[in-house]
Amino acid sequence: MTTFIIIVLKVILIPLLSPLCVGVVRKVKASMQNRRGASIFQPYYDLWKLFHKDEVIARDASWIFYLTPFILFGLSLILPLGIPLVGSVESLSFFGDFLVIIYTLAAMTFFLALSGLDVGSAFGGFGSSREMTLAALTEGVLLFSLLPSAIIAHSSNLILMATSASTLSLIDFLPIGIAFMGYFIALMAETGRIPFDNPATHLELTMIHEAMILEYSGKRLALIEWANANKFIFFIILGVNLFFPWGLTTSTAPSALLFALGTVIVKALILIVGIAIVESSVAKLRLFRLPDLLFTGFIFCVISLLIMNI
Amino acid sequence: MTDQNIINKYLNKKIRTEKSANLILFQVEKNAILSQCLELSNNQNLQLKTINATDERSENGCFKIFYIFGIPGENVFLAPYIRIEKTYEFPSITPFIHQASFYELEIYTFFGLKPIGHPLFHPVLLHENWPSDIFPLRKDFAYNKRPREAKNPPYEFQIVKGEGIYEIPVGPVHAGIIEPGHFRFSVAGEEIVSLEPMLGYTHKGSEKLFEVLSFNDKLKLSERISGDTSFTHSLAYCQAIETLGNTPVPSRAKYLRVIYSELERLANHLNDIGFIINDTAFSFGGSNGPRLKEEVMQLCEMLTGSRFLRGVNTIGGVTKDIPNEKKVRLEEKLRKIRKDFEAVIEVIDDSESVQNRLKGTGTLGKQVAIDHGVVGVAARAIGLMNDARIDYPYASYENLEVKISHQTAGDVHARFYVRISEVYTSIDIITKALNKLPQGAINSKSTNKLQKNAYAVGITEGWRGDIVYFITTDNKGEIARVGVRDASIPNWSAVPHAVVGNIVPDFPLINKSFNLSYSGFDR
Repeated sequence: MTTFIIIVLKVILIPLLSPLCVGVVRKVKASMQNRRGASIFQPYYDLWKLFHKDEVIARDASWIFYLTPFILFGLSLILPLGIPLVGSVESLSFFGDFLVIIYTLAAMTFFLALSGLDVGSAFGGFGSSREMTLAALTEGVLLFSLLPSAIIAHSSNLILMATSASTLSLIDFLPIGIAFMGYFIALMAETGRIPFDNPATHLELTMIHEAMILEYSGKRLALIEWANANKFIFFIILGVNLFFPWGLTTSTAPSALLFALGTVIVKALILIVGIAIVESSVAKLRLFRLPDLLFTGFIFCVISLLIMNI
Repeated sequence: MTDQNIINKYLNKKIRTEKSANLILFQVEKNAILSQCLELSNNQNLQLKTINATDERSENGCFKIFYIFGIPGENVFLAPYIRIEKTYEFPSITPFIHQASFYELEIYTFFGLKPIGHPLFHPVLLHENWPSDIFPLRKDFAYNKRPREAKNPPYEFQIVKGEGIYEIPVGPVHAGIIEPGHFRFSVAGEEIVSLEPMLGYTHKGSEKLFEVLSFNDKLKLSERISGDTSFTHSLAYCQAIETLGNTPVPSRAKYLRVIYSELERLANHLNDIGFIINDTAFSFGGSNGPRLKEEVMQLCEMLTGSRFLRGVNTIGGVTKDIPNEKKVRLEEKLRKIRKDFEAVIEVIDDSESVQNRLKGTGTLGKQVAIDHGVVGVAARAIGLMNDARIDYPYASYENLEVKISHQTAGDVHARFYVRISEVYTSIDIITKALNKLPQGAINSKSTNKLQKNAYAVGITEGWRGDIVYFITTDNKGEIARVGVRDASIPNWSAVPHAVVGNIVPDFPLINKSFNLSYSGFDR
C-alpha cells in the first residue's frame, strides 16, 4: 500500500516541482551575475501563460509535429517512475532498469529531432543535426556512468543500485564518485546547459535544443518546456540518489520516508546550485570541442570501471 | 603643409586645381580617372574615403562624381572628379580598386549612372519593390512623391553547389532586439562556405531628406543617421558646415566636443565588450558590460540632458557646457567606472573558456581589409593604424596625445582587446581634456550663410570607425547634397570574408565583434 502511495506521489510530485528547479537555477545564475533575477516561480507563470495562448503551426507540419509534444511530455512522466526518490520501498521490478531509462531518453531525443526536421525550417534542421551528433555521444557516457553501480549491486534496477550503494564504505565508494564526473557531464549535455547549449540565448544560429523547438508556440511549447523541466529534475534526483545515496531508507515508516524526502531535497538543491555555478563560470564551448568534453566524461567512467576491479 | 605643398607632393604639376573649402578639386577626363585613382591610392598610399555623385544638371549641365582621398595629418582632401554629360555611363574603377564597388553601385541605384565594367552589377539598398527607372537622388525626383510599387524579380543570391551544401536564410527579423538584415549562408555541415548579406531594410532616404529639410532640421537628421553614434555623426556634419560657412569654433567648444565624443565611444565600447562576452554565453561579463554602459549613459544625461548626446552639437560649437561641479562629478564617476572595468576584465582575462572562443575566430585577412578599405576598430585589430583623430586632426585632438590601440591577429579576440584598450584611452583623453579645458564661450554666433558652389568634407572618428560627410552647396549657398559615409559601409563588405571557414554557431560572435550599424549603412 505504501509503495503504491509513494509511486502515485512520485508521478504527481515530480512534474509539479520540476518548474521550480528551473526557477532556482535561473535565480542562482542571476545572483552570480549581480542581478536580482526573476522569482523562482517564474517558470510556472510562463507555463500558465503559454497554456493560455493560441498556436501558430506551419502549413507543412505533419503528425510528427502535432504529436511530439504529447509524446515528450508522456515519456517525461514515465521517467521518474524508475528512479529512487526515498528508498527501497518504491522498487518497481518491471520499470527500474537503467537501460530502459536511457532508451526512454533516447526516444525523447528522437522525436524532438524529428519534429525539428518536420516543418523544414533551416533552424530546425541544424538544431536536429547538432542534437543527434551530441546525443549519440552522450548516450554512451550516460550508460557507462551507471555501470559501476550496476556491477556493485549485481542488478540493473536503479532503485536496487542506489540502495545497495548506500551500504558501501567510503573506500569502496571511490569508483562511484569518479563515475559521477561522467554522469555530470552527460547531465549538462542532455539538459542543454552551458558549456553545451545556452538555454537563455536569443541567437538562433548558436542554438541546439531551442533551434529544434523554434517552430512551436502556445500549448505545445508549454508541454515541451514542461517535459524538459521534468527531464531536468529527473537527472538531478537520479544523480543525487544514485551517486550520493546517503539518506535513502529501507523502512516504510512514514517518519523515515519523510526524513528521506527531506534529505533528497537538500541534496538536490546542492546539485542545482552546483550546476548554476558551473554554468556561470564557463563560456559555451565551440561546437566541435563538445565531443572532446563528452569523451572526457567517458574516460572518467572507464577509470571508474578499472579501479573497481582492483 | 600648405595647399601648394600638398599639390606639389601628390599631384602632377600640369594639373589645374581649385580649392573649395577643405577640398582640392581637379577635373579628370573620364578615361583617365582610373589611372589617377590608382596613382593616388597605390603610389601615394592615400586612402580613398568615399565616392560621391552630384546632380548639377540644372547649373552645369552635368553629373559629377567625386573620388575623395584623405591626406594623412591634414584636414584637407584631394578630390579628382569627372563630369558626365549627355550620357548616363561612367567607367568603373572597381576591377582595380575594390573598395569603390559599393559606392559605384550606390551611384547607379540612386543617380542612374551606370558603372561600365563593374564585375557584379546590381542595385543596392533599394529592393525589388522600387521601380528600377526611378533614381531618388536626382534633382528631378520629388522627395514626397510615392512611386508605384514595382514587381522586379527578386534579388538572386549566389548559389553554391556541391554535395551536402545547403542554404540557411536568416532574418531580416532576428530573435534579439537588433536591426533588420538578411543573411544567406551556404553551409557544408557546420562550416560556412559563403555568406551574402542583404541589407537596405532600414533605408529611409536620409540623403534626399538632407536636401529638403530646413537648415536646423538637417543637424537633427544627422544625429539620427545611426542612433548610437548621434554625437560623432552630427559632429562630422557640423564640421563640414563650419568649413563651408567659415564659422569659427571657440577652443572650449573644441575640447567639449572631444569629451562628448569620447563619452559616446566609451558607452558603446563597454556595451560591445559586454555583448561579445554574452555571445560566448559567459554570463558574468555579459551582464557587467551593459551595466557599465548604463552608467556612462547616465553620465551623459547628467551633463547634457540626453543619454545619446542629442541636441548637443550646433554649428559653431556645442550647446551644453560642463561647469566645475559637474566636472568634479564626471572625473569621480570615471575613476569608479575604470576601477569596475578593470575588475571585470581581470575575470575575463583569466577565463580560459572565453579566451578560447575568441581566439582564432573570424579572422579577417590584412590584404582583404586593405582591399575593402576597412576602417576603425576592425582595421586597428589587424594592425592597420587608421584613426581619424590622428590622421585628420579635428576638434582639439592634436593637443591631447591620442594613443592608437592596435592588435595584429585580426580575429574576434583582437577586435575585443582593441576595444578594451580604447576604453582606457578614452577615459584618459577625457581626463586630460577636462584638465586642459580653456575658459571662454562654448559656441560662436553662426550664420547660415555658406559659400556658394562649394564642396566640403567633414570627418570624425566614430566608435566604429571614421565617418565622412560630403556636403555641397548650390549657386544660392543652399545645401545641395549631403553624402553620408558611415564606418559600416566599408566594413560590411569585409564581414563575409571574416566569416568564411568558421562554423555557423560562431557567426553571431563574429558579427558582434564588428557590430556594424544597419541604419548607418542603409541610411
